[in-house]
Amino acid sequence: MLTQLRLSGFRNLADARLDLPAEGVALVGANAQGKTNLLEAIYYLEIFRSFRGTRDSRIIRFGEDVFRVEGHLEHGADRQVIAAAYQRSGSLKKVTVEGVEPATLGAAIGGVGAVLFTPEDVRIVSDGPEERRRFLDIMLSLNLPGYLEALQKYRQALSQRNAVLRDGGEAAAVRAWDALLARLGGEISHRRVRWVEERGSEFRSVFSEASGGEEATVSYQPGSVDEPPPGEAGSEAWGDAMAEKLDRQFESDRRRGTTQSGPHRDELRMHLTGSGGSDASSEPRDLRHFGSGGQRRTAALTLRILEARTVAERRGRPPLLLLDDLFAELDADRSRRVVELLDRTAAGQVILTAPKQSDLHFRADRLVRWNIHDGRVDRGPSPNPETP
Amino acid sequence: MSVIDEVTRELSRLPGIGPRTATRLVYHLMREPGERSRRLSAAIRELADRIHPCPRCGTYTELELCRICADRARDRTTLCVVESAFEVHSIEKTGEFRGLFHVLGGRLSPLDGIGPDELNVASLLERIGEPDAEIAEIILATNPSVEGEATAVYLEGVLRPLGVRVTRLARGLPMGSDLEYVDGSTLAEALSGRREM
Repeated sequence: MLTQLRLSGFRNLADARLDLPAEGVALVGANAQGKTNLLEAIYYLEIFRSFRGTRDSRIIRFGEDVFRVEGHLEHGADRQVIAAAYQRSGSLKKVTVEGVEPATLGAAIGGVGAVLFTPEDVRIVSDGPEERRRFLDIMLSLNLPGYLEALQKYRQALSQRNAVLRDGGEAAAVRAWDALLARLGGEISHRRVRWVEERGSEFRSVFSEASGGEEATVSYQPGSVDEPPPGEAGSEAWGDAMAEKLDRQFESDRRRGTTQSGPHRDELRMHLTGSGGSDASSEPRDLRHFGSGGQRRTAALTLRILEARTVAERRGRPPLLLLDDLFAELDADRSRRVVELLDRTAAGQVILTAPKQSDLHFRADRLVRWNIHDGRVDRGPSPNPETP
Repeated sequence: MSVIDEVTRELSRLPGIGPRTATRLVYHLMREPGERSRRLSAAIRELADRIHPCPRCGTYTELELCRICADRARDRTTLCVVESAFEVHSIEKTGEFRGLFHVLGGRLSPLDGIGPDELNVASLLERIGEPDAEIAEIILATNPSVEGEATAVYLEGVLRPLGVRVTRLARGLPMGSDLEYVDGSTLAEALSGRREM
């Protein structure tokens, strides 16, 4: 639970010290007043960069040299202060957990335990496969120990191998990277596959509930191996399978000057099934290409709900839900069903934003309402007028 | 450019020394008696004039052949391959190794334009192929980084066909560390590399 947030120099937000209620808050404000910036500041403490992909130097408020975000967290008797700051002059970034700088940023990510829902999430479904891999990579990095390290090493080994291939280096100088690539790539693919398999049936049920009875499935299509090892196989079997494929494509890789197989070619696929809608056939249809706007949005939301459940199970406590204008694009029926799902998924703290009071569909009666205007948060009345 | 600026600039090129530290060092030297600076500068000059890589193993020496290569009492059947001369120093300090060394002068990093030809690999193969060579085991002591691992894999590929035994440094828990504070991947590595007691 986030009990206090301290901000300075962060985008358009006024320097502030905000005490957050245990239930959470509803942030109401017109566009461009700073609602999303506030969520960005909180999520910065989770991944130590902007979820919008903004460079640190661009987050600093105009005319300032430093931004700083500090979050006070409380989980039962456990208290923790996570802080992050960036200084333009000297390009200095400093992250501390309880006042101590972690050995690597990777060691400190995931400290807040937040899950962020934004209108941009639909791109996970509608954009190219790299968006879906990015979703899996961030989610697994935050929740599985060792995943981020394997991913970073894999990327490093991959760019080294591609550099030899580009330069037309000797075969042995290319093969030098294969063992590492296969071991790390196998580990990554295996962990992604496991997550998709473990959550596959939940994906079906959550999607069906959110959409009001429509059917969709999720599956993982590895580009790292020709034949996926059996379900119970460990990461070593995946590594072996990947080594085989690297070996088989070796000459082709050298001709093309790039590594053509590996988890960087994997794909998370979502399909509409069943015969719902006007299409009478029951052939599975790729959601990315054949889903309606509402179906894609629902699929993205479903992935986020599964992420929230993963966080809850991994950390043994409900995640902090950050809901950015969640209901903007959903019709009233979908909104109502999503609210029910969210309520069951996470009984924890919620920070949600909406442009108008009437758009607050979720826990509107229980959440304290804050108005945000021109970067200033105005702590409004408590939701129960009778309490003094 | 003033002498102060010049020395500051040269010092700040050294690893681990930024402009601020360099400035502090320069002001420190100026406060000291001039004799100290002259001694330091003479010693650094000697380093440049007299030290050269050993023609056999590549470690630094002021002799024709380095102290280790020249020592007839060393075990000539074991050869330890390291990335840099600094690691020779580290391993020598342990006093546990009685064999010979071979310094690669780096590690594979195609992104930086470093391939096998940029490393002292040819001279390593020559050493093994010499008619009076007694090398029976080669210990690959490259770093456990992505590039160090790839370098070891590469060397294993070229050495194995020669019929020598090729071994790799063990990885695992650092001595004197507490399990609680060891990072996850090191612990995982130590678990998978556990041995019978």
